[in-house]
Amino acid sequence: MSFTVALAGNPNVGKSTIFNALTGSQQHVGNWPGKTVEKKEGRLRFGTEDIFVIDLPGTYSLTAYSIEEIIARDYIVHEHPSAVVVVVDASNLERNLYLVAQIIELKIPVIIALNMADLATSRGMSIDVDELSSRLGGIPIVITIGNRRRGIDDLKETIAQVVLNPRDAELQVEYRGVVSDEILNLEELIRRDEPLTKAYDPHWLAIKLLEADPGIDRALMGSGMGDLVKVADEARCRIEEKTGEEADTIIADQRYSFIGSVIDYVVVRPRETVFTGSDRIDRIVTHKVWGIPIFLLTMWVIFQFTANVSAPYLDWIDVFFNEVVYGWAQSLMVFLGLGGTWFASLVTDGMIAGLGGVLVFIPVLLFLYLALAVLEDSGYMSRAAFVMDRVMRWMGLHGKSFLPMIVGFGCTVPAVYATRTLQNEKDRKLTGFLATFMSCGARLPVYVVFGAAFFGSTSGNLIFAMYLLGIAIALAIGFTLKHTVYKGKPPAPFVMELPPYRLPRGSDVWRHMWMRTKGFVIKAGTVILFTSIVLWFLMAIPAGSNKGTFNNVPAEDSVFGVLSGTIAPLLTPAGFGTWEASGSLITGFVAKEVIVGTMNQIYVQEARDAEPVGEDEVVDPTTFGEDLIISVVGFGEATILTVQEVINIVPRTINIIPGIHIGEVAFFLETGDVEENTSSLQAALVTSFSASAGSVKAGMVAAVAFTVFVLLYVPCMAAVSAMRQEFGSRWMWTQIAFTLALAWVSAVLVFQFGKLLLL
Amino acid sequence: MTQLTTLDLLDPGQKAIVKKVGGDGPIRRRIQEMGVTNGAGIEMVKSSPLGDPIEYKVRGFNLALRKEEARMIEVEI
Repeated sequence: MSFTVALAGNPNVGKSTIFNALTGSQQHVGNWPGKTVEKKEGRLRFGTEDIFVIDLPGTYSLTAYSIEEIIARDYIVHEHPSAVVVVVDASNLERNLYLVAQIIELKIPVIIALNMADLATSRGMSIDVDELSSRLGGIPIVITIGNRRRGIDDLKETIAQVVLNPRDAELQVEYRGVVSDEILNLEELIRRDEPLTKAYDPHWLAIKLLEADPGIDRALMGSGMGDLVKVADEARCRIEEKTGEEADTIIADQRYSFIGSVIDYVVVRPRETVFTGSDRIDRIVTHKVWGIPIFLLTMWVIFQFTANVSAPYLDWIDVFFNEVVYGWAQSLMVFLGLGGTWFASLVTDGMIAGLGGVLVFIPVLLFLYLALAVLEDSGYMSRAAFVMDRVMRWMGLHGKSFLPMIVGFGCTVPAVYATRTLQNEKDRKLTGFLATFMSCGARLPVYVVFGAAFFGSTSGNLIFAMYLLGIAIALAIGFTLKHTVYKGKPPAPFVMELPPYRLPRGSDVWRHMWMRTKGFVIKAGTVILFTSIVLWFLMAIPAGSNKGTFNNVPAEDSVFGVLSGTIAPLLTPAGFGTWEASGSLITGFVAKEVIVGTMNQIYVQEARDAEPVGEDEVVDPTTFGEDLIISVVGFGEATILTVQEVINIVPRTINIIPGIHIGEVAFFLETGDVEENTSSLQAALVTSFSASAGSVKAGMVAAVAFTVFVLLYVPCMAAVSAMRQEFGSRWMWTQIAFTLALAWVSAVLVFQFGKLLLL
Repeated sequence: MTQLTTLDLLDPGQKAIVKKVGGDGPIRRRIQEMGVTNGAGIEMVKSSPLGDPIEYKVRGFNLALRKEEARMIEVEI
């Protein structure tokens, strides 16, 4: 027999740490059916029992106020897990017990994992756990310190005991006065209906009806129980008449006063509130003067992390893939007797080159996700929302919209999904729409390549400018919409916990980084491999019988070249009206990370074709051993360079202050900057853009215009389909049309004005 | 001596008792679920660098509210 246990709890109580500790590596991450909220499932082994653990979304309550709450509640109500483990923050018992009280009302066996008891102690609180347990009707309570794995074995044992020997919950929150009478009346009515009594616990349903719970009301109306809802409405009116307060207010009050009565016997608080380290940090981080500079500085450090720190590994993977793996694949083809055939070309030039161009950016994403995970887990993210709310409201958004926006810097897809944390649909749509202008990780490679090709050592400026431009455009659009389309509509409320600062736990951060990056790699691996193959065929098939033969046609005369060529004139005003550029942009629809891959294929192939045949074939073949040595040594060098870059963030950050200049302290190895200019793609880009724009200088402007276009035009296929799922297809098409137009206009403006200014 | 006012008018460090949570439907309920219920003690901690939202301490944790939401909450000082 198998058991299922659900894990519930408020946000920021260390629930995911407990989940990780319980289930170890036995995890599966997916989505809730039909929803875009992450669903984590795991398995916990106790003796011979296999217990499934479902991680419910973090919620403060079960009122079905947000999508997370609906999921958590529906799961408990309809799936009947064997038990619910509620992770409770010991230092914040009152508010956490509110959720516990609601789950108890669902008549499900509950286990409390009293987490972060160390934090409570450090704040001078002491909790009488036995007393708490008995006051809560004998609920088992396990003290855990998730981030030190303390109490996890106890918790496992308790879970096993509870699911193997279930007993009915004895506790009920006691309601008093009129509310209690009305609850009894409604319960009476509900009990008369047998199917209804089977589907819901009558007591719970009565409370929900009095709270005018929208989800329950809708469900009952839908199944022809409108009468019951009407009766409840009347009951609510009576309550309001008699008490002068609304029923849901009284219910919330009474729940809290029930909790208060429990707490009074259980918790000893210090006389004076202890001024914690967290308060101290908060004083600085949200300081009147320093709050905003610290916020901006944090963002800047994240850019440094993604742009510079990841570069050495990026170079290493580049070499490893495009030289070592490429060479092996070629040898393998020769070994199989396929050397020089079209199939060998498909594998090496199509698949490996395309895939390599994507995998190269794993380090960038790992570093980016590292930064995001640290921001989220440390508690700074909500401070950022607190500091930025005023600005976000200026464009008609919520401080919480800031989070999806930041996530948008990583990838637009999770950003669209992250909008679920917003309650208001208008906010969700607008945030999702604007988040696409936050330059995602997949666009970064394009800036990096163009920056390095055209601006060499100052390429960081181009990258930073693109990020700023994306933000500026989002601000401008948001502001415009607020004063036009959304005029007169009230903004969503800002009710947010500012959790205590916490040191992020290494293994949680790593899991976070790994899961997200893995998602990207899988997506890249399938979509992009497919695209690369299609692309290779399009480039191998001649656009006419007189243009060449299969796999032996100049790229320009291939189907792909001709197709791209027809669009190219449209882009001439922006300075990059070449079939290569438009072709890269077309493949960028599929996924923006493909752009560089495509460019690698078409520009470099062109360059290779231009070289005298035979010359590049006589490169000394390396042996497997030599390859291995190159790879290992290269990895070591990359590691040293990364450390060097991390250390140098400090002087670079200080150098932002005008008038101060200190040298970079760490200098172990020469960075790859010098060699980068010789990279074949970059050289080809400079040649091609200078030609299409008219001169080398104009080529630089055209390159900027191109990066602007890449920043603004339609996000990738995955992001667009995420939007369709979240906001509907009308919204998706609006988004596609709008972003295309915006990208074109902006790129043209950049090129035309840039030319005027520079030339 | 006690005095009635609204939550947004408290000064940093000032403490008060919640008397009535106004506003409508979901916003009010969310505020109440976070522990801002009648009779709860609440302390203004500080406002954000741009003046709004405001951070409060209630039931042992820190809660941020916008001024317009705080205005709907009557308190006694």
